[in-house]
Order: sequence, then C-alpha cells, then structure tokens
Amino acid sequence: MIFFRPLPWEYGIRNLMRRPLRTALTLVALTTVTLMVMVVLGFVRGLDRSLMTGGHPQTAIVFSLGMGENLEYSSVPMQTADLLAASIPGIRQRYGTKYASPELYLGTKVKSTAENKDEMGLVRGVTPAALLVHGNVEMTNGSWPNVNEVLIGRMAATKLGLSAKQTQPGRTLHFEGRTWTISGTFAAAGSTYESEIWCRLDDLQQAMKRQDLSLVALKLDSTDGFKQVNLFCKERLDLELQAICQSDYFATLQEDYRPVRLLSWLVVMLVSGAGIFIGLNTMYGAVVGRIPELAMLQTIGFSRRAAVLSIMQEGTVLAMTAALLASIIAYGLIDQAAVRFTMGAFELQIDATTLLIGYAIALFLGIVGSLPPAIRLFRLSVVDGLRAV
Amino acid sequence: MPLIHVDAVSKHFRKGDETITPLDNADLRMNRGEFVSLMGASGTGKSTLLNLIAGIDRPSSGRIVVDGEEITHFSRTRLAAWRARNIGYVFQTHNLIPVLTAYENIELPLLLLPMNRTERRRRVQVALTAVDLLNRANHYPRQLSGGQEQRVGIARAIVTDPTVIVADEPTGDLDAETSAQILSLLQRLNSELGTTLLMATHDADAAEMAGRQLKLDQGRLVELGNPGTVSMHPEAS
Repeated sequence: MIFFRPLPWEYGIRNLMRRPLRTALTLVALTTVTLMVMVVLGFVRGLDRSLMTGGHPQTAIVFSLGMGENLEYSSVPMQTADLLAASIPGIRQRYGTKYASPELYLGTKVKSTAENKDEMGLVRGVTPAALLVHGNVEMTNGSWPNVNEVLIGRMAATKLGLSAKQTQPGRTLHFEGRTWTISGTFAAAGSTYESEIWCRLDDLQQAMKRQDLSLVALKLDSTDGFKQVNLFCKERLDLELQAICQSDYFATLQEDYRPVRLLSWLVVMLVSGAGIFIGLNTMYGAVVGRIPELAMLQTIGFSRRAAVLSIMQEGTVLAMTAALLASIIAYGLIDQAAVRFTMGAFELQIDATTLLIGYAIALFLGIVGSLPPAIRLFRLSVVDGLRAV
Repeated sequence: MPLIHVDAVSKHFRKGDETITPLDNADLRMNRGEFVSLMGASGTGKSTLLNLIAGIDRPSSGRIVVDGEEITHFSRTRLAAWRARNIGYVFQTHNLIPVLTAYENIELPLLLLPMNRTERRRRVQVALTAVDLLNRANHYPRQLSGGQEQRVGIARAIVTDPTVIVADEPTGDLDAETSAQILSLLQRLNSELGTTLLMATHDADAAEMAGRQLKLDQGRLVELGNPGTVSMHPEAS
C-alpha cells in the first residue's frame, strides 16, 4: 500500500523556471531581505562583541566616586596606583611587578595632519603595565610609543573617519595642542580598546597639564579579589574612590545599547515580514496557475500531501537559494565592514551564528510563504481542481 | 462477475439553494476488455460518473465495485493508492506537465508503483511505441502538436497497465483529423491489448467507435439501440 510518495524533485525545481522573470524578481527580493537580516544581525553581533570582549571578571577598575560609569570625567590622584598596589592583597604580580595600570582617559578632538578635519577620538595615556592588565591587547605593528608618539588601535582609523593608510606608522595626528607620530598599531580581540589611541601617560599628562589619573585598572589573582578592592575603596573614604568589575562595566555599557539592539531585532522582524509577503505572492501565483495540473497529479495517484510538499519545496528552494546568495554577498562584501559609534568603532560580524540565523529566517520565509497556497490546494477537491481554469 | 459494477449510484450537488442531481440511481455493469462510450449533452453527468468510477469523487449514495473492490468507502489515501494501480485517466485537455518531457510525463504514474528504473524505462518505451511517439520522448509538451500531446496523455494512462482507462472527452479539444487518429488509437488499444475503456463524449461519431454506447438521460443510463433500458447489464458474465 502506497501511503505517501513525493513528487519528483525535478518537478519542483523546474517549476521555478516556468516563470523565469517572476522567479528572478522574487529571488532578488528574497536575497535583499535575507541580506538585510544578515547585515542587521551582523551589526548586533559586532556591537555585542565589541562590548563583551572588553570586560574581564578578574580586572577591576578603580575611579572617582560619584562618576557613575563615566570614566572620562573621573579624576583620581596620581599616587592612587601605587597605593592600591601596596594596600590590596590579591593583585596579580610577576617578578615583583604588580598588575596595576594607571590610566588617563579622555575623548578629544583629533586631527589627522593629512586631512584637515577634526573628529572625536578616544585617547588613553598608559604605562607598559597596561599590557599586563589588558591581556587581550597585542601590538600588531611598530613599537611602544616614545615621547610624542602614539600607538593606534586597529579600529581607530574608522572612529576618526580616516583610511587605514592615513593611520600607518610614521603618519602624524594632532590633538591636545601637540603633533603625535604613530609608532605602531595594536589589536584587542575586537573590543572597544581597538578604537582608541594610546600614548605614554606622562606625555599625555604634560600635554593636558594634568597630574591626575582617570582610573587605575587592576588585574586580580581571582574574581574573589574584587571584594578586597571594593573593601579598600569603602574604607578609604578620604580617597573618594569606587571600584567596578571590568566585565560589569562593559555589561552596563551593553545595557545602554539595549534599545539599539531591540530596534535592530524590530528591523529584522519587519524585513522578514516583508519577505513573507514576497514569498506568498510568488507562491500564490505559482499555485493558482497550476491547480488543474496539481489535481491531475492527484488523479493519477499522487497524494494531496505530495502536491503540498512539492509547493513547499519550491518555496523553500527559492528562499534557500536567496539565503545562499545573501550569505555570499554578506560574507564577501559586508563581513568586517567597520561601523562607528559613540564608544568607538566595531566590525560587522557575519559569522557562523549570523549566517545560521539568516538561513533559518530564509527557511521560515520559504515555508510560511508557501503555506497559504498549499492550504488552499489542500482544501480543494480533485474534481474542483480539474475544473479550475 | 463484471469488472465495474455501479449499483444505484446517485450524486447530488448543492448550487446555491438548488440541489442538482446529475446521477440518480444509475446502474452500470461493464466487463473486462469492453470499450464503452458514454453520451450525453454537457452537464448531464458524464464526467461525474467517470470521476466516481475513477475514484476521484464520492457518490451521495449507492456503491461502486471495481475488479472486486468496493471503492465507495475507501479513505482518501487508500483511494489515491488504488487509483495509481487501477486507473488510467485520459483528460480532455491532456494536462501534461509543461516542465517535464514526454518521457517524464509518461513515467509519472510509474513512480507510485514499486518498480525499479529499468522496469520503468521499459514500460515507458512500450507505451511510447504504442502511441507511436518513441522519437518524441525527449520533447517537452510545448514542442508537440495537440494530437501528439493527447497521445502522450494516453501513453501516461496506459503505462501502468491499469484495470480500466477512463477517457473524459479525449477528442474534445482536437480537430476532426486528429480526433480520428486518437479514437483509432483508443480502439486499437482495446482490440489489440484488451484494455477496458470507458469514454465520455458528446460526439456521436466518436461514440460509435466503442463496442457499446450508453447515454445519460435525467441521471440514468440508457443503452443506445435499446431505449427502454434503464440499468445496463451486458449479457456476458
């Protein structure tokens, strides 16, 4: 007894070529929809990545009390770094060097000497201890900065609206009344540090005529060490310090961008909704014109389910082809495209997860788009189908 | 025992407030190897009777037995499987799949039967030979003439060697010369291969090609040449 024998695979595939123009237009539309979904997902994942990878649970940030999470306005005395290193047990150390990084951090107007325009840049004055505390930072080119030199993050060019060529070692930037020569570049595993310009702490203090710090970053032996840092800040009220775990700090920043992420998902849903209607329109057209033919197939013995499955196969093949084209375009042209935002810059992430979600949404579009015409066919009797014109 | 036994079959349709009864207690017995034509004006229920015998529609009352199986109460799934094995259907508008070649169109019903590719190929070639279209096997319907398309439709109907072939106005869309060729082909299939054929037509000349001619009159079957008969019971069997 035959219960369910599907229609030949070729039937569904060749049917797509029956109306080549309509199929091509639908393919273009579905590819655009899937591409847009992938771009938005790539944006969300890139933003998340830049904010997530910056934080480490064993790193504490000590800054001035009452600043919320705003490090730019924080001001702590210069000796705070030594005081913290000497007073708090549990700070990681190696060969007698404590992993404590005094840093001066600010957003300021930066001008490329090649381009006569200002852009808001993020500058951090650091000591070599910064490399101990921020473990994901690695120099990729050039050398550690000397006086009047800066190390520039991989994404800093994007943040400054400059080309990669304009931020190569040897080129110069102008900020805080001085001209700085780029001595090298660094990467930081996609975190927001990559958008920053690093220079020597003492150099930046001189340029800004400041003697204080914005913060002290501490690398701890374990996550329990943070309690000691917190306790110190609460005991030494005279210093007016507060501490935050670096991963919590970035989680707070991520929370600030929640509306952006929600808006992005809303865009994904709206674009997908449009995609469903595109698929629906095509599949309705394809089915309505073929009702007698599908009824004939049932007359010769194919089950109604086989006919329905064949329609859904067409919709799905079309949607998955669109997903394939979209993923090629996204991966080839859009992956790692740089995007600027207030915290710096990040790259669109067209990774496996983005592609997988894009394909899943395309599959959903294909199935949902072909369901109503399939249901219509399911409800129609064979006799009525044969009579249909 | 007749191959087809239609026993007091009625069919009602609702059309708005009106109830239409194209078949009213119709009876028919048809033997294996017979070629029966079914006459009647448009809307008299010829196609309805064919659809009921082919198992693509259900009667409102009565029963239909084909080759010893009462199909009236079969489930939809069982009916589909039964049609694949027992029914060859020739449509007025051949209903070929435009994206499949003549060969592939004819092969379609065989995909539902348990047989390998070699056996399918052999059967399709036999069917193509029977309709004299072996040299058109790889042509698409748009590359065939109307008569050739209908011959492909006939090949598709005979390829499974079905218990019965029902043909619903098979020459309705063809010119006189092509119609004659198609009718001659159907007659040859009946006489040489012993195919059981039930053909609906409104063309008296076409009907005369069959061994028996029936007419639907007010929902009942009347044997032509024997006007008083209401229920047809062939002498044989």
